[in-house]
Amino acid sequence: MAASRVVIIKAGNLWTSTGAVDPAVITKMFARGFALLTGERNDAGALSSLFRPNDRIGIKVNTIGGRALSTRPDVALPFAGWLSRNGLQAKNLFIWDRTTRELRDAGYGTSADRSGIKVFGTDADGVGYETGLVSHLNVGSLFSKIQTEFATASVSLALLKDHGLAGVTAGMKNYFGAIHNPNKYHDFHCNPFVAEVFDAPPVKTKHKVSIIDALVVQYHKGPSYHARWAAKYGGLIFSLDPVAADTVGWSVIEELRAAAGLPALKDEGREPVYLATAEKMGLGRADLASIETVEETVA
Amino acid sequence: MKRRRFIRGAAGAGLLAGAGLPSVCSGLAAFGAKPNLSRVEARYYDKLPDREVECRLCPRKCRLGDKERGYCGVRENIGGTYYTLVYGKVCSLNVDPVEKKPFFHVLPGTSALSLAAAGCNVNCKFCQNWEISQVRPEQVDHFDLPPERAAAQAIESGCRSIAYTYTEPTVFFEYMYDTAVQSKRRGVRNLVVTGGHINPEPLADLLAAVDAVKVDLKGFTQEFYTEYVRGELQPVLETIRAVAKSKAWLEIVYLVIPTLNDRMDLIREMAKWVRNEVGDQVPVHFSRFQPMYLVKNLPPTPISTLEAARETALEEGLRFVYMGNVPGHEGENTFCPGCGKVAVQRVGYRIASIQLKAGRCDTCGTPIPGVWT
Repeated sequence: MAASRVVIIKAGNLWTSTGAVDPAVITKMFARGFALLTGERNDAGALSSLFRPNDRIGIKVNTIGGRALSTRPDVALPFAGWLSRNGLQAKNLFIWDRTTRELRDAGYGTSADRSGIKVFGTDADGVGYETGLVSHLNVGSLFSKIQTEFATASVSLALLKDHGLAGVTAGMKNYFGAIHNPNKYHDFHCNPFVAEVFDAPPVKTKHKVSIIDALVVQYHKGPSYHARWAAKYGGLIFSLDPVAADTVGWSVIEELRAAAGLPALKDEGREPVYLATAEKMGLGRADLASIETVEETVA
Repeated sequence: MKRRRFIRGAAGAGLLAGAGLPSVCSGLAAFGAKPNLSRVEARYYDKLPDREVECRLCPRKCRLGDKERGYCGVRENIGGTYYTLVYGKVCSLNVDPVEKKPFFHVLPGTSALSLAAAGCNVNCKFCQNWEISQVRPEQVDHFDLPPERAAAQAIESGCRSIAYTYTEPTVFFEYMYDTAVQSKRRGVRNLVVTGGHINPEPLADLLAAVDAVKVDLKGFTQEFYTEYVRGELQPVLETIRAVAKSKAWLEIVYLVIPTLNDRMDLIREMAKWVRNEVGDQVPVHFSRFQPMYLVKNLPPTPISTLEAARETALEEGLRFVYMGNVPGHEGENTFCPGCGKVAVQRVGYRIASIQLKAGRCDTCGTPIPGVWT
């Protein structure tokens, strides 16, 4: 049962007067989310239930959408800071994506400081992709060395978006940014490829938790940014079950679409069928009825 | 054997000229290399509302939002305009025997300046060049070789032709087309080596600019194309028909993969289709598979299988049927359909003898179709 718990944390005072988000509030949201997720009473306890003290943690963000529609730096950086204050070493924390340019375009200041939290892309000097292909089911890809070598544990700190081909992009599809050839896996609504990339050893053996940035959700015409169909949902979604996290994310998108008078993704023939495939593969639960969703608002 | 070699710094003038093949490297880029991609507006696409575009270059018809790339990985929607990222960005450049493409009825014994940019619009599980075809352009080393420079390079290198090969040239269409136009003016022939996934409109434009097209017919069932190619058979057959109707010379290659596409009834069906649809004069090459990329669990094609395929196609009336990647086999030779004598004798990529005069058999005078001069 615990594996299929999904926690949604919102905050009443999240947005500042300038339209930014308050990092102190974000940190509270992480703390509460992990507490509800793990059942641990304090922050360090929650983290130690998921990570070892010496873990090198790759925090995979999604920055393909530029500043308007990426995992926000004011979410990822407070998260990494919170980890470093609660038993994990700052030098072992990597915020990363495909390219350093995309990270910069999304508003991240890149850093390779040896003692601090690092921010860089797979294309950074000395990084790159493995030269050995991982051939897994229908997938044949080179994985980022950040995923395979640098990180001993992996967090998908994704963004919640409608996706014209996949239906929904969230925590699982975020790992498309860990392979060299994601463009080859968008046929058939990305099915079964999203599930199979996640199931490949470099991801499956290291993934610890899905966190979905749903502060602003692109609920139509994604994955590109369109202000008209972007809503301030104001939530962070947490789960140890990657399929359940994305399934709940999908339901959020459907709620927003319905509120805007848009048809359901299924009616547009593009529901995220890879979630059912992932469930069949034993990666998690894709049926809302079998997912315990806990929603809370922090002060 | 099949690794395509990358010439470091070949943007420098005359690197190839008279020097033979330089020492080169291949494969994925050293990291830290700057992407330096092109931003040349693509041809054959439609602008749609909400900054979306729809590509019309190949049958996939990728529909893309802002900042998205097509299946090929080398064409990107930037703010509602579609761009090719690989115009003049050459990732592989070699002087090859034209027989290596293979073209057996085009300028035998000559060299082709053979070039590629990164990318492909299918994903064959048995790809022999996946390190450059199945990657995004920023993931491979490349250098600038503008069309006019490519044409000059071919001449300086003693090449009679430029071959667009190694990856899928359709995805670098704009560069290929412009290079073909430039080099044609200078008397250099243009040869295209393609999987045939291209839409009729760009294909028609291309055929007006090039001299020969070799189509890789990778199988003869849609099931095979779905499972192992990630593409469609029918558009490839349409491409073959269109090339045959054009002024460009056509050759077909069929890579025979043990257990996957080597059933003789299918090969017979394919040979009949070739005879009926594009004629018995079109050369067909049955090539030997080597384990590669995602198909490493199968052995190289037995030579007996290639011999059986060749025999089957000959039985169906095809006049020029060859075996590829089997150096020294008589199936490499061109036999005159009139007298049965060897008209062109090959050993691997080398020409041992040519018994042709003005495109006719030296012995009996039977015309042998092709581009001979």
